[in-house]
Amino acid sequence: MDDALIPEGAKRCAFPIFMIGIVIVGAVLLWGVYAMFLCWFKGLNQTNMNDYYGFALWIWADLAVIAVGGGAFFTGLLKYIFKVDELKNIINFAVIIGFICYSSALLILAIDIGQPLRGWFIFWHANVHSMLTEVAYCLSCYFAVLTIEFIPNILENRQANKVPFFHHLAHNMHEVMAVFAATGAFLSFFHQGSLGGVAGVMFGRPFAYREGLLIWPWTFFLFTWSAAAFGPCFTLLVTKITERITGKKLVGDKTINLLAKISGWMITTYIIAKIIDTIYWAFVTAPSMGFKLSHFYSNNGLYGYWMLITEVILCGVVPGLLLINKSTRENPTTRTIAIILGVIGVCLNRWVMVLQIMAVPVMSFDTWALYIPSWQEVATTILPVAYGIILIAVAYRYLPVFPQELELNESADAAAQNG
Amino acid sequence: MIENKKVHKFGMVVDLDKCTGCGACMVSCMSENNVPFKEDESNKKDSITWMRVYKLTNGKSFPETEIVYLPRPCQHCGGIGDHGHSPCVSVCPATATDYGYDTGIVSQIYTRCFGCRYCMGACPYHARYFNWWDPKWPKGMENYLSPNVSPRMRGVVEKCSFCYHRYQLAREQAMIEDREIEEMEYQTACTTACPAGAIVFGDLNNPAHKVHQIVKPDPHPDPMNHKVVGKSRNPKVFRLLERLGTNPKVYYMSDREWVRKAGDNYLKGEWENVKTHHGASSSHG
Amino acid sequence: MKIDRRSFLGLGLGAAAGIALSPVGVKLTDDSSIWTQNWPWTPVPEDGEITYDRSVCSLCPGACGISVRKINGRPVKIEGLDDHPINNGGACLHGISGLQYLYDPARIKTPLKKNGNKFEKISWDEAISLVAQKLGEIRESDTPESLGLITGADNGSMSRLFERFMGAFGSPNTYTMPSLESNLALTAAAIHSADRSLGFDLDHSDFILSFGAAIIEGWGSPVACIQANASRRERKAKLVQVDYRLSNTANAADKIIAVKPGTEADLALGLCAVLLAKTQISTNTLYGDVNKLAFAAMLEKEYTPDKVEAITGVKAADIEALAMEFIKAKAPVAVPGKGRGDVGQSLREFAAVQALNALAGRLNKEGGVFVMWPAGYLNFPENVMDAAAEQGAGKAKLAGSVNELVDKLEKDGGLSALFIYNANPCYALNNPEKVKAAMDKVGFKVSFSSFMDETALRSDVILPASIFLERLEDVVSGAGLAKTVVGLCRPMVKPVFDTKHPGDALILLAQAMGAGIAQSFSWESYEACLEEVTEKIWDTLSDDGYVVIDDKPPVGTPATDFTFLVSAPKVAVPMGEGDYTLVPVDKMRLAGGSMTSSPFAVKTVSDTVLSGKYSVVEINPTTAGVLKDGDIAVLKTAMGTAKVKIGFNEGILPGVIGMPRGLGHAFNNPYVAGKGVNVNDLIGPVIEPGSGLDAAFGIKASLSKA
Repeated sequence: MDDALIPEGAKRCAFPIFMIGIVIVGAVLLWGVYAMFLCWFKGLNQTNMNDYYGFALWIWADLAVIAVGGGAFFTGLLKYIFKVDELKNIINFAVIIGFICYSSALLILAIDIGQPLRGWFIFWHANVHSMLTEVAYCLSCYFAVLTIEFIPNILENRQANKVPFFHHLAHNMHEVMAVFAATGAFLSFFHQGSLGGVAGVMFGRPFAYREGLLIWPWTFFLFTWSAAAFGPCFTLLVTKITERITGKKLVGDKTINLLAKISGWMITTYIIAKIIDTIYWAFVTAPSMGFKLSHFYSNNGLYGYWMLITEVILCGVVPGLLLINKSTRENPTTRTIAIILGVIGVCLNRWVMVLQIMAVPVMSFDTWALYIPSWQEVATTILPVAYGIILIAVAYRYLPVFPQELELNESADAAAQNG
Repeated sequence: MIENKKVHKFGMVVDLDKCTGCGACMVSCMSENNVPFKEDESNKKDSITWMRVYKLTNGKSFPETEIVYLPRPCQHCGGIGDHGHSPCVSVCPATATDYGYDTGIVSQIYTRCFGCRYCMGACPYHARYFNWWDPKWPKGMENYLSPNVSPRMRGVVEKCSFCYHRYQLAREQAMIEDREIEEMEYQTACTTACPAGAIVFGDLNNPAHKVHQIVKPDPHPDPMNHKVVGKSRNPKVFRLLERLGTNPKVYYMSDREWVRKAGDNYLKGEWENVKTHHGASSSHG
Repeated sequence: MKIDRRSFLGLGLGAAAGIALSPVGVKLTDDSSIWTQNWPWTPVPEDGEITYDRSVCSLCPGACGISVRKINGRPVKIEGLDDHPINNGGACLHGISGLQYLYDPARIKTPLKKNGNKFEKISWDEAISLVAQKLGEIRESDTPESLGLITGADNGSMSRLFERFMGAFGSPNTYTMPSLESNLALTAAAIHSADRSLGFDLDHSDFILSFGAAIIEGWGSPVACIQANASRRERKAKLVQVDYRLSNTANAADKIIAVKPGTEADLALGLCAVLLAKTQISTNTLYGDVNKLAFAAMLEKEYTPDKVEAITGVKAADIEALAMEFIKAKAPVAVPGKGRGDVGQSLREFAAVQALNALAGRLNKEGGVFVMWPAGYLNFPENVMDAAAEQGAGKAKLAGSVNELVDKLEKDGGLSALFIYNANPCYALNNPEKVKAAMDKVGFKVSFSSFMDETALRSDVILPASIFLERLEDVVSGAGLAKTVVGLCRPMVKPVFDTKHPGDALILLAQAMGAGIAQSFSWESYEACLEEVTEKIWDTLSDDGYVVIDDKPPVGTPATDFTFLVSAPKVAVPMGEGDYTLVPVDKMRLAGGSMTSSPFAVKTVSDTVLSGKYSVVEINPTTAGVLKDGDIAVLKTAMGTAKVKIGFNEGILPGVIGMPRGLGHAFNNPYVAGKGVNVNDLIGPVIEPGSGLDAAFGIKASLSKA
């Protein structure tokens, strides 16, 4: 019944089946929206945050989606600036994922702040010394850029494209996309970095504090780097999931392997930098403040060395090596394992850099503070996931997201027809 | 403009050996500053206490056990090098908390704060509190609220202001009479309430003030840690987490070594070196 | 014009763009943020002129001077009054939070009458005539002695006025709640002479030997004591604390003598024995001391250091050393009264400590203990007593003390009416259930309470009292202070509710009763009464706000009568079974006695004292068995069981469980009541023969995981 909207030649499931899926995910979305309104109308007492845990699950989710959304800017950078043309096959999807991640991040921020109606004060009364100000500016601007990058893809919808104005607009936007990609890369460099800076500048929190270059702590560069490294992993992971659900090959192996290879090298170089940073912090920065490394990883029920090892070795070194090694990269199983480990690794890093900072006692007579999120926090954190699934489903159904889709599935279709 | 005026640096020193942990400072602060209360305040992680009294113990068994009560207001940090970039002020995205260069006081503008809580994360002293709930007073009780400090709304951060409104009132009076503020004219509510006289408040820049005389702040950076300025030259006096370079304006004093040691974090063997260096930089002054 | 899909879309987009470009969005954004800055449900206190007014706090026996800051006459802050002879500018947390009591959710707002299980509002006229009528019936039935009175404070014009009423009515049955003041008066009466009190000159002592007295946690006049402790550090005066847990006072002390709970009297006697044996203290009857030889003989026989070690757990050598240190100090003083020195005390212990002072020659010496005369500034006109009153008042009291009264009432009744003023026996006495049962045996109970507390809830008529901030009253110091100061408590604000000064209520009642009683209360108001009875000092009192009656050591050395100590039996507590001894712990931040903590005070209470709904009990980890820190456990005594939270505390004697006092209130104030357990529920009264005091300092208890 919605055939007119579906890209020409593409096969899509029947509309009722599509709707059933949307309704199921939509129910989860509504649950999240309900929790969101509870938080807005009743206040943040709906959460289990407290004065020790001012930053909690949401800020982690925020940082995590931005990190994994980094695939958009990095792929864009490679495609439009470094002219890695092969990536045109995945760039649309990378942009959509980025768009979802960033719009989710902004939504989470709007729920997270105690006075949402005053949120714009961050622009109006901006404090240039604050990393969060930098985050807010770059994040909002980059979201605008992502929207602009997303628009041509929307306009390529079969019906929209019939309108000559839209058709030409989309075409012309494609032409100038390099400008936006450059802008996006620049903005992303800063907001990914300043998100790292948020933690790194807290010189009152020895677990977070890092020395650095000029005004930027090392976490600034590590965050940008890790987003560029693991962002593509997430793009690949979502592609893989989409392929599984649709039962179709959507992006060619050549593109996948290229992006995986780039990601692998980025991860490997990142993790070397991360290890150097960790060693310097553990043996120089923290001890200069009177802290032994073991202080951060003992006397509590959750945060142990296992966390550090998981993040750096299992979810850092391992996926890096798996992806730079040709045979493991091109083996779908090991590649997928590496991609999953990578996504877990970057999320774990963001968790540590948000929640463990809050948990570690600083005053000698203080105690570890652990917290368990309330259902409202969990629901509002799942909300963006549900929203993302719906948006991807709709985009996949109605927009020509994957340029290779028809070509890759021709033989299969033909085989089906012949069979 | 500031050159014409005298630059103050208000601070306090708490004699931990005198403090009895009676709680008068906490209540005086709550009453002075319209701090709200709720039915259950036993979870200290969401209980707004601008002045919180910590209880420290030496961990030994009775009768060798010793305890000390440590009153903790906002430390009014000067930040690394004491340049006014306190951990919290430097991170607030909306300039809702500010450093008064003429007073050394870290302010909080409740109507500008939009509740991102970054400042709370940045503060290692847990001196900042978030209004998770709308403040509510039992019927009629809002009648005792003071107009000098506006009650906060839900969703913003609040903290000790060194009773800044008391400074404003004293300053106004002094301006009318065309003179400087006297030491006793501006005292915080916790200081005046303390029955043990354990808190001394005044201008750390003014050698005539008792707080200066006790603390004897070193105006030069600590040769062992250049982030630290204003270290006390009194060997009995210390600050909380001094090594971080937060440069608080709240000092503590104790005759007991274990208490002074508890003020900061030390690696094994470090304290033995550090304790003898307390006040070591006095040659500068 | 045909509206097709395209033009509709265009219209929509155009409208959206138009609104986006118009100032509407900006204006709405701005307005919404301004709205959040002025939420109508966030109060905006009214501004105005700042004034300061002086008064006296009468929440506890401390009698501190206070300064009340007002905005346009509206009180906004209470602070200590500078240069006041008692507190010299200091204040305690309870006094500072005084304004919260004005608007306390549990305040009684109008006179009330019990109707079935519910209270109903009545007018003052109705209330007064109702009580007058009931009391009239009692007098007509010729049993005026069946009216009882339980009060808290035992000095000042208000207590005299109540006694006067009882006298004119014809009843001897006046009882006071146990307080440090009443215990000290009993001690003075037992070993010196009646109608005296004891004052401890901590400010000038160079060696304070405290027998568990919580000197910096609410003992005596709390602020004055905290200041004395602060000055002690400057004067390099020593404090030695005899205690079984690391109280804040013990922590502040130079030395702690760890002692088994309940053996403090034996230690004091042991010290007396050392002094007599090792020093040249004359055992003859110089100064007119009585029975000193017999006392010395008893000490020699039963309280040798070795024997005392066996009882108290303090090493014999330490006992001897302590005694010698005490006697060699320039100005030593021994201080009795565990905790706040009110509930669970024994006269034997108070007297033993005072005997130590007497033997060391510390009576009426600077830095010692003063045996003080009553304040004596009140001159009431002769009480008019008719024949019925004469006859009733001449009868024997039902009981010797409030504890004995509870026993008596619970068993056989004996009172037909009871006045309760400034007391909350249904909470503050041990085994409140028994107190409640005793109350139920009284036909007609009249409460003069300001708050609907546990006792007021059980009354038949409530004549609600204005609180100290709303009333005029003389407040006399006491509670172990070595000076006598009368302060004037002044109304800082008009009564917030339809309450009256209890003095005015009593005058109205007396006048409604007519006859002799009315003649005894012929003042037109309490204010007129106060002015008349304090005539000698009224001018200074009303001008300065206080009068120092006496602040020097009394002249001469009073005689000491050791008879009581020679014969005083040891009270066998704690009772029951269990591996532990449960003891109540007085905390500065939790009010005791008839006073309830304010919301602010409860807020300051640590989570190692109160955690959610649970009282946290202190227990030494070495004797905790399988229990872990933070566990919920069932605490069981012969009196009852309670669920508590375990709080490991190295600072308590192994085998002892310390439970905070002042929690577990059960009335309608969500900020204060319904939190933790009332430790008194778990402890049974053990009445000390000869004094009538409830000497239950603790009880045997068992603990198991919940």
